Amino acid sequence: MVILEPVEDVAREKMEQEQHITGNVSDTLGLRHDLAVRCRGVTKTYGTGDAKVMALRGVDLEIRCGELLMLAGPSGCGKTTLISIIAAILEPDSGMCEVLAHDLQHLSQSERAHFRGVAIGFVFQLFNLLPALTAVENVAVPLLINGVSRRRAEARAREVLEAVGLGERLSALPAQLSGGQQQRVAIARALAHDPKLIVCDEPTSNLDHETGRNMMEILRRVGRSPDRALIVVTHDTRIYEFADRIARMEDGKVVEIVEGAESEHLR
Amino acid sequence: MLRVALKMLIGDRVKYVGLLFGITFTTFLVTFAASYFCGFMTRGFALVAENGAADVWVMDPAVASVEQTSNMAASALGRVRSVEGVASAVPLALGTAEARFPNGRFQPFQVIGVDDATLSGVPPLENGASSAALRAPDAAIVDPGGTEDKLETPLLEADQWPPEPHLDAPTRPLAAGDELLINDRRVRIAGRSKALPRFPPRPLLYTTFSNATRILLPERRRLTFVLATATPGVMPGELAARIHARTGLRARASDDFKADTVRWFLTNSEDVGDIAAMLSVAMSVGFGVTGIMLYMFTHENLKQYAVLKAMGATSKLLLGMIAVQTGLCALVGAGLGLGLCATLGRFVAETADFPFRMMWFTPLLGGGTVVLVSVAAAAISARSVLKLEPAIVFAGR
Ligand SMILES: Nc1ncnc2c1ncn2[C@@H]1O[C@H](COP(=O)(O)OP(=O)(O)OP(=O)(O)O)[C@@H](O)[C@H]1O
Ligand SMILES: [Mg+2]
Repeated sequence: MVILEPVEDVAREKMEQEQHITGNVSDTLGLRHDLAVRCRGVTKTYGTGDAKVMALRGVDLEIRCGELLMLAGPSGCGKTTLISIIAAILEPDSGMCEVLAHDLQHLSQSERAHFRGVAIGFVFQLFNLLPALTAVENVAVPLLINGVSRRRAEARAREVLEAVGLGERLSALPAQLSGGQQQRVAIARALAHDPKLIVCDEPTSNLDHETGRNMMEILRRVGRSPDRALIVVTHDTRIYEFADRIARMEDGKVVEIVEGAESEHLR
Repeated sequence: MLRVALKMLIGDRVKYVGLLFGITFTTFLVTFAASYFCGFMTRGFALVAENGAADVWVMDPAVASVEQTSNMAASALGRVRSVEGVASAVPLALGTAEARFPNGRFQPFQVIGVDDATLSGVPPLENGASSAALRAPDAAIVDPGGTEDKLETPLLEADQWPPEPHLDAPTRPLAAGDELLINDRRVRIAGRSKALPRFPPRPLLYTTFSNATRILLPERRRLTFVLATATPGVMPGELAARIHARTGLRARASDDFKADTVRWFLTNSEDVGDIAAMLSVAMSVGFGVTGIMLYMFTHENLKQYAVLKAMGATSKLLLGMIAVQTGLCALVGAGLGLGLCATLGRFVAETADFPFRMMWFTPLLGGGTVVLVSVAAAAISARSVLKLEPAIVFAGR
């Protein structure tokens, strides 16, 4: 098993930044430290009038530190909306959401940006790598956004790319990589700044079955750590085995949560 | 991250080259147009430039340019000379006359009569000849004045002054010793000069003031301008004001008179109006293209900006990135455009005698306006990037 040690000074910088955001809110609010995410009654409506769509109708969800939680459910049930809110890129209409001991409601626009930069890693369905940047440069981007110097950012990026098995393709452009390789670069990018929450929206749906499994295997092996939570939105029942728990959504609500081992009936 | 911004820009080869092309083209167009315009205007006031020694031009109060003139009474010369602060004053006569060539063809000339004593204002002659040749009786110096093939005389002796015109006889360029008839007076060519080309182009005939009086149609008044120099320590503008106050004539420092002439052309010459209209159309097209391309670059990269935004890039960082991208494009494009303009302008000015004059402000105009367009385009792009919902990064939206 590959163990990814965060670069020491990167970690220190990060901690300083995190403290800068909220101090130690969790203690004052009495939040539970073993929970990475705690959502209560989250609602979200898109549009107005006739075009109104109620995407979330009161979601309650808890995600523990160290677990890989899969979010499943039919198309349009609100999975993407929910993780967008958890990742602080979308604001809910009502309800509360505490992520990594930060109450998102109380963050200003720029604090939210800062929070995302430091605390969240993203993996997208369409990879969304910057086409003009090499693999190393792409992976270094989150660190650069956090103000780490280029030299150190790229050194760290190389390390993470090696961990996901792309040590040979460090200076390849996205267009020169296969889909599976691009998604591995994306995983490396999501891990580079050692975030405590990683959100993945349908990370395997643009990959063939074998590559998808391979990718989940890497995500679990490299990404999972006791102080980090992973949320993976998926349609793909064949990767349920990589989940610690599976939350099933329907029509804007989480209707069922099962342990990964007991997910047989969901397939 | 600014390095990342540059890579985003340059990595997108096709768009980058397109952008650079657009900006280069616009800078080139604007600078070239402005230089072309300056070239024309410089030719418009060539007579003023030619008489560099004169500090102040004195003229009839109704005259507003060198292009449209009216004469003053001969006494004006003495009155100007008597104004204190005037070191010297010489007369200048302008007139138009039809000259008949030995083969019977005729051609209108602008006749420029310079001071008999000083011959000041006669441009340098070809082959290094001396302008003193104008002191010979009936002597004149001809100059193409920006025209081509208008100063031709019959090649063969037999075709000169025949009883009937030999209009199609073979010709050669006029040279010293040839003769022309102006208003039935004989004019003997003393040489050819290389004066500044004129706008509009016209053949020129330099002669002495007294000879000009002889060959031009008789008029009550012959004196078009009095050219005064100032005594040391007197500023031209100040002297002009004093001359005006003492004589009632219009008096302009030569730089002001050049400006007057440019203004006159702008308001009175259809040609200049047409050129200006054409140029402004070309400029707006260039600007439109550049602005739209710059905007499109950001617009097509919105998804990438959204990803950066989701990953925590602040507005300040994104704005910096857009500024760097626009700045690089504007700088490189403007540089290329100015270089191209200078090279090409020099080439056409030298080979085709094209009115091209890159004055100090023409590159500023070209570069400055491109910067303006870039800033505007960047501002519009910035607005869409700032308004961007990072939530669009997730698939399907
Ligand atoms: N920006 C938006 N504007 C309007 N409606 C939206 C928007 N985003 C999502 N919706 C609607 O909200 C509902 C939930 O969308 P969401 O994308 O969260 O579903 P999902 O579970 O991720 O679906 P899928 O599995 O197809 O990705 C859908 O009905 C969708 O049409
Ligand atoms: Mg979705």
